[in-house]
Amino acid sequence: MTRYRLRHVTTYRYAEPVDLASHLLHLAPRALPHQRVLAASITADPAPARTASRRDHFGNAVGWLFLDRAHARFEVTLAAHVDVAFPAPPPVARTLPWEQVAAAAAVTAEAAEFLFDSPFAAVEPGAGAYAAVSFPPGRPVLAGLLELTGRIRRDFAFRPGATTVATPVARVLAQRAGVCQDFSHLMISALRALGLPARYVSGYLRTRPPPGQVARRGADQSHAWVGSWLGPGLGWVDLDPTNDLVVGEEHVVLGWGRDFGDVSPVRGVILGGGEHSVAVAVDLEPG
Amino acid sequence: MTAGRDEMVDGGGGLRPHWRRVLGAFASLAGELPERAARLDRAAAEEGIASILPGTERAPAWRLDPVPLPLPAEEFAALESGLAQRARLIEAVLADLYGPQRLLAEGHLPPALAFANPGFLRPCRDLVPEGARLHLYAADLLRAPDGRWTVLADRTDAASGLGLAAENRRLLARVLPEAFRPVQVRPLSPFFDLWQDSLQRLAPPGSANPAVALLTQGVAHPHWFEHLLLARDLGAALVEPADLTVRNGALFLKTLQGLQPIDVLLRRGAGRLIDPLELDGATRAGVVGLLDAARAGAVRIVNHPGTAAVEVPGFAALLPGLAWHVLGETLALPSVETLWLGDPAQAARRTAAHVLCRALDDAPMPAAPDIAARPWEWAARAEPPASMAPCLEGDHLMPRAVVLRLFLVHDGERWRAMPGGLARVLAAGAVLAGRLPPGGVCKDVWVLTEDGSDIVGPPQTVVAPLALRRTTGALPSRVADTLFWLGRSVERLDRAARLVRAAAARIVGGGEISAREVAELECLLRCLVDAGVVPAEAAVVTSQAGLAQTLLLSVRGGRERGAITRLFAEVARLTEAARDRLTGDMYATFTAALRQAREETEAAGRSIDALSHALATVQRHAATVAGMAAENMVRGGGWLFLDLGRRIERAQAITAEVAAALDQKPPRIENGLRLLLELCDSAITYRSRYLTVIQPAPVLDLVLADQGNPRGLAFQLAAMHTLLDDLADDSPEQRLAAIAAGLLAEAEALVADVLAAPDQAAAAAALPPRLRDIGGGLATLSDRITRRYFALLPAAQSVGRGGGDGK
Repeated sequence: MTRYRLRHVTTYRYAEPVDLASHLLHLAPRALPHQRVLAASITADPAPARTASRRDHFGNAVGWLFLDRAHARFEVTLAAHVDVAFPAPPPVARTLPWEQVAAAAAVTAEAAEFLFDSPFAAVEPGAGAYAAVSFPPGRPVLAGLLELTGRIRRDFAFRPGATTVATPVARVLAQRAGVCQDFSHLMISALRALGLPARYVSGYLRTRPPPGQVARRGADQSHAWVGSWLGPGLGWVDLDPTNDLVVGEEHVVLGWGRDFGDVSPVRGVILGGGEHSVAVAVDLEPG
Repeated sequence: MTAGRDEMVDGGGGLRPHWRRVLGAFASLAGELPERAARLDRAAAEEGIASILPGTERAPAWRLDPVPLPLPAEEFAALESGLAQRARLIEAVLADLYGPQRLLAEGHLPPALAFANPGFLRPCRDLVPEGARLHLYAADLLRAPDGRWTVLADRTDAASGLGLAAENRRLLARVLPEAFRPVQVRPLSPFFDLWQDSLQRLAPPGSANPAVALLTQGVAHPHWFEHLLLARDLGAALVEPADLTVRNGALFLKTLQGLQPIDVLLRRGAGRLIDPLELDGATRAGVVGLLDAARAGAVRIVNHPGTAAVEVPGFAALLPGLAWHVLGETLALPSVETLWLGDPAQAARRTAAHVLCRALDDAPMPAAPDIAARPWEWAARAEPPASMAPCLEGDHLMPRAVVLRLFLVHDGERWRAMPGGLARVLAAGAVLAGRLPPGGVCKDVWVLTEDGSDIVGPPQTVVAPLALRRTTGALPSRVADTLFWLGRSVERLDRAARLVRAAAARIVGGGEISAREVAELECLLRCLVDAGVVPAEAAVVTSQAGLAQTLLLSVRGGRERGAITRLFAEVARLTEAARDRLTGDMYATFTAALRQAREETEAAGRSIDALSHALATVQRHAATVAGMAAENMVRGGGWLFLDLGRRIERAQAITAEVAAALDQKPPRIENGLRLLLELCDSAITYRSRYLTVIQPAPVLDLVLADQGNPRGLAFQLAAMHTLLDDLADDSPEQRLAAIAAGLLAEAEALVADVLAAPDQAAAAAALPPRLRDIGGGLATLSDRITRRYFALLPAAQSVGRGGGDGK
C-alpha cells in the first residue's frame, strides 16, 4: 500500500472578462476496492454561485461549478489523500483465450459498453491490424495485452505538443508519436477492433518514480491509461501503454469512461473571455 | 409487389360504408373541386404552412389535398388503444434504460442497442427521479394489404406534424365548409386544450402560473412554421436557445423586463443538442446548464432528452419480446416485420424481400454497406405496399399511397390520441418511415363519430388569477431585437426605392442630361452610395445608358445579388422571425405586399422605366407595414421597437441626404434644396407655405426642425424621444431619451444659425460636417439601444475539450 498526497491545479486566464461560466468536473478520485480516498476537496477561485455533484453513468464522481460574476481568471484545485494498492493481475496462463473473452464481452452489459465506437476512440482498422500481431489465435488475453502495451511504449515517441485531444487515432498511428491520451485512445481503438472491451482511465502518475526506477513519462500532468477486460470473473486490469506498466501502486484513479470525452477533468462553457490560456500543475507524492 | 389496398373502395368495387357520406359532399362539389383546391393552396400560401417568402430559401412546403382520410370511430379507438399500449411499453423501457438498466443486466436488451446507440445519452441517466420520460408520442402507420394497420416507425424524440395537422383542419374548414356537413368529425381543439393542461401540470410544484415554453431552433429550422403554430395552439412562449439562460439551477427567459422563470420546456429539436455543457451539441444549439436545472427539479423538459434512443428500427425489432417481458402482453398494434441484424437468429430470417436500413440512427445509407463488420448497425424491414386513398390531381381523383401519422399525449394518468392526424401522400421513392420531410402533399385525417361525443378531459387545474398588466411583460429580448431591425430594414428598402426612382426620373426619356440634372444626379448618387445601393466606384454621372445600367444592378438576382435584392431577403427573414408577434392578418398583409413588390421588381429587371414603376410597390409595402403596425399593434413592447427602428433609420437617411444636397458651392445650393424637398416628400408643403421661392432657411426648417413634418428629421427625433421615454427604467444614467433630446436641440440650432446668417447659402453650404455629427449621434444611439435592450451576449465558447491540459 502506498499513501499519496495529491494536488491538481487548473488555471484559466482570459483575455477579456468572462461574464458567465459553467464548468463540469471529473476531478474527485474514485473510491475503489483497492483505492481508499481518505480526504478530497475541490476548491474554486472565484467562488462559484452554485455547485452540484452526483455520480455519472459510469459511477464516477462528477461536479458542476456555475460562476455568474465577471472574472478574468478561474482556478480550480483538487487536494486529496489517497491509499492505493492495486493487486497484480492473475497469472497470464489463467486468463482465457482472447476470442472467448470477446465472445463473452458481447453479451455482458458491464463489458459491452466499451466495445463500440466512441467520439475520440472510434474503431480504426489500422489500429486493429497493428494490435492483431499480439493476438494470434488462442493466445491468453493477458499475454496479448501485456505485449501490446510494451509495443506501444517501444514503437511510439512521447512528444508533448505533437497532437491535441482531437487528433484522430489514424494520425497518431501514422506519425508514431503523441502523449498519454493518444496512446490510450490508440490502444482502446485497437482492442475494440478485435472485439475486446477497453476503457479510458483518467488519473495521475506519481511525480517522481520509486527509488532506483527510470523516470516516467506523463508525470506532472493529468495522466491516462487503459482498462481492459479479462473476462467473466476476472474483471478489469489497468495497463499504462505510455510507460509499459501494469497499474499497481504508482497510479491514482479519478474515473473512467469510453474515452477522454467522458472523463475530461475540467471542461466548461464560458460567455465572453476572448482568447484563453490554461495551465495545469499536478503533484502526486507519497506521504 | 402487390398493389396497396384501396381505402375507399372494397374488393367488390363498392364504396366502403364510412366513405359514403364523406364522398357525397365532394360529389356535390364535383366541378368546383379544382377551384377549391386552388383556394386551399392560396390560403396556405398567404398565411399558413406553405408560405414561402421572397428571399427565404426554403424547401417546397406542404400542400394540403382537399380530400380527407376518414377513419371510422371504432377503427380509431382500436388504433388509440394499440398505440397507447406501445407508448406504455416504450415509457417502461425508457424508465429502465435511463434508470436501473435491469433489462440490460438480465439480457432482455442486447447491449449494442443501448451502448452503440447515438440516441442513448449517458448524462441523462437518472435525470428525473420519477415521472414520465415520454410525454408526446407519435407513430407512422400504414395499412397492409390484409387491411390491418401496422406501425412503420415510432417517433419519440420530437415528433413533428401536430401543428401542421391543426392548420390543415383550419384551412379545410374555411375553404370547404360543405364537406363537414354530412358527417360528424371529431374536433381537434379539445385535444390541444387537454395537452396544454397536461403540460402545465408537469410544472414543478409551487408555481402558481406555470410558464410553458416551446424551444425551437428558429427561422432556419425546416419545421419553423410548425413550431410557431404549435406555440400558438398551446399558449406557450416560442423561444430559441439564445433566449434562455440558466441561473442558480433554474431556467429563465431573457425579456426586456428581466429574467422570467420557465417551468416546462417543450423541446422541438434533437435531445442530444439540448445542453452543450454535458452533451455534444454546438454551444449555440442548446442551453448551458439545462440538464443541471432539470436534475434540480426546477424545470421539466419534455420529452426527456434521451428519448431518441428508442425510436430506431433496432428497437422496433425488439418490442414484441419486450412487450411480453415488461408488460406481460402481446402488442395489439405490431410494427412491420423488422429484423435486427445484430442478433444472428433474426439475421438468419432475412430474405431478399426485406429492405435494409440503419438500425440505430438515420444517417444516410452508404453505397455498399459492410454488414458483416458491424451487424448491430443494421436492420432489415418488410415494406408492404401502403393503402391507396383518393387524391385530387388536376380535376380527377386518383388513388395514391398514404402513410398515417397519429399523435398521443400523456395526460398524467393515461395516453390520449389526437382525434385526427396527418396523412402523408407518398411520392414515388419517398422514405416511408422516419423524420417528417419539410414538404410534400398531405391530407387531413377525420375521425368520424356517430353521436358527437368527444373526449372529456380531466378537471382543469386551478390557476391563480392573473394580475392585470399593461406593460411590455415578457417580450423576449430577441423579439425586440428582431422588430427593431425589421423597422430599420423596411425603412432602408423604402429609402433605396425612393432614391432609385428619383434618379430614374432624370434619365428616362432619352436626350441630353441638362447641367441642372447633372448636379442633381451627382447629389443623388452620393445618397445612393450612402444608402449602399450603388458602389462608390460606380457613382459618376456618365451617359444615360450607363446610369441606367448602374441602377439596374441593384435589383440583380443570382450569385452577385444587388443591394435591393439583398434588402428584400433581409426584410423577408426578419418578418418571418417576428411572425409570432404579428397577427395572422398582419403577417399575411406584410408578406403579400412584400411578395408583390419583389415579383414586380424582378419582372422589371431590364428596363429602367419599368423598374421605376415597380419600385413604387416597394414604397407601398413600407406604407402598408407602417399602417398595419399603427392600427393593429398594442402600444409599448413590440410596436415600440418596430417604430424605434424605423425612426432611427429614417433620421439617419434624412441627415445623410441633407448633407449630400448641401455639399456644393453656395451659388448652386438652390438645386440641392429643390432636390431635398423632393426626397423628403415635402415639396407641396413648401409650396403652400412659401410659394415658389426657394431659400435655405425655410427649406431646412421644413426638413430638419419642423416637428410636424413626418418626413423631416425633427419629427423622427421627437418620436424617438417619446418612445425611449416610455421604455425608460429607473436608471437615469442610462436615459437614452436624453440623447434624442440633445440631437433634436442640435437640429433646431442648425436651422436657427442659417436663419441668422447674413449669407444663408454660405451658411447652409457649411452645414455638412455638423449634419454628419448628428448622423454619428444617431449611430451611437442605435448602438446604445442595442446594448441596453437586446442583451447581446458575447459568444459562448467551450474550454477544456480541445486538449492542452492532459499529457
